[in-house]
Amino acid sequence: MTLIPVPRPKNAWNPDRPMNALLKTQMEHLYDAEKRLPSRLRSEIYVNAIKTEGEAAAYIRAVTEAIHAAHEEAAARRAKPVTKRKRVIKIAAVADDRADRTPAPQGKKKSPGKSRRK
Amino acid sequence: MAPGLDKLQHIVVLMMENRSFDHMLGSLKSVNPQIDGIVAQDPYSNPDTTGNSVRPQPLAEFQAQLQPDPDHHFPAVDLQIFGGNPTPGRTANMQGFVKSYFHQQQDVGHSQKIMYYFAQKDLPVLTTLALEFAVFNRWFASIPGPTICNRAFAHYGTSFGRVDMSLLYINEPFKSIYSRLINATPKHTSKLYYYDTASSTMEITNLLQNQPELFGTYQQFLDDCQKGDLPDYSFVEPNYSDHDTDSGEEVANDQHPDHNVQAGELFIASVYNAIKQNAQLWESTALLVVYDEHGGIYDHVVPPPCPPDQFTASANDTGTGMPFAFDRLGVRVPAILISPWIPKGTVVSRIFDHASIPATVTKFFLGDYAPRSPRETNADVFIEPNGQAVDPARNLLSLNAMRTDCPDFDV
Repeated sequence: MTLIPVPRPKNAWNPDRPMNALLKTQMEHLYDAEKRLPSRLRSEIYVNAIKTEGEAAAYIRAVTEAIHAAHEEAAARRAKPVTKRKRVIKIAAVADDRADRTPAPQGKKKSPGKSRRK
Repeated sequence: MAPGLDKLQHIVVLMMENRSFDHMLGSLKSVNPQIDGIVAQDPYSNPDTTGNSVRPQPLAEFQAQLQPDPDHHFPAVDLQIFGGNPTPGRTANMQGFVKSYFHQQQDVGHSQKIMYYFAQKDLPVLTTLALEFAVFNRWFASIPGPTICNRAFAHYGTSFGRVDMSLLYINEPFKSIYSRLINATPKHTSKLYYYDTASSTMEITNLLQNQPELFGTYQQFLDDCQKGDLPDYSFVEPNYSDHDTDSGEEVANDQHPDHNVQAGELFIASVYNAIKQNAQLWESTALLVVYDEHGGIYDHVVPPPCPPDQFTASANDTGTGMPFAFDRLGVRVPAILISPWIPKGTVVSRIFDHASIPATVTKFFLGDYAPRSPRETNADVFIEPNGQAVDPARNLLSLNAMRTDCPDFDV
């Protein structure tokens, strides 16, 4: 089995490099996505002022994490159907209770349909 | 009948950025004449704006040579392929690369650098993989245009009529390959691994925003490889920017000009090693390394016509004064299929483009599937569906016994 050495780049890291067209496009797509996020999850970074790769990466990170956070929150909300079912049972029980009580006086019941016919 | 296909459980695609076949692998023709690259006696050239003939030369540098970023939007690629001839019935001649690059800086000497390619010794990872496994002589970008619409073909088998960098494919008629797999019965697994959250994905609007459960980071890819938890289908994205992280400096490794090409070499080697270091995964995985488009850099092979898609980009959208029916492929890009079941030195000359990715993954894991775009339906597959009628002439994972001589990379 041959082990092939792979040279490492020297002095390649430059976050101050002006961002290329691809990064700019990616940022624009993220900006569109960010506008649909709940306001408390938005980045508050002014995208028009972003010029370098490092700045673009900071914005991209903020919005990507926010998108994940928004979906996690939504998933957590969806994972609470048990609470909803309890409420339904409770309301039904109250309705049953009311049915057992003395009925409301007939005169106070108004039929909207009948009123309209008048 | 085909033990490599019997064993195959995982397909991984690594899509790099913006380099042409000749630029990265052209030098290999002198090692294996079956590889359709460049040797000194070849007649390939481009005229510069003074009328001189510029020949490809092995003078490409890792960084700081292709500034500004060579134009690869639709009108520029049209000029590169057709040499600036706008007339109906024109013939593609690959004569407009130097002209196109000259437009950006008005510097004749600088414009000639678009013809440069890497010497074999400069790219030990990519050239070794190409010589060791299956290299594709005719893998083309899906569209003669930029990144986003080309990457869309890898995810959806179409760009839904786009030839530019716009991205809004929600409610389109064809589902992504990821959605197809995870919604199938029986269910399959699929993930798109972006490098980290600061690099994120190019599939933001459609997938990350709507189906974040499909995503993982590159660190998760490494962990999944180690634990043997890799999904049936994985798509890996490189790091698109130089940035700081909590753990230190991250260098862009996508190889997009003007990012460092050696950093990309390390990344490709890292993906390969991650799969190879897990013996079970290595015998059951096929890895495709491919580039999304040529990035405006010279290639000598004329992109062929192809059956049209059901969408048409208007003359206004193309910026050339002519509509485009998606009936011609983009410029040729490097593509290598890696598996220990592939004979060393395989060279494939059938025609592929990025629509071949969802076509292959769909056919392999799901069999017949509809609806798919006309371009995807017509695209060739690079891994045969494993049925009784596997055609041995088309099966690239054709060895009866797994190779034990595959290289390792010291990264």
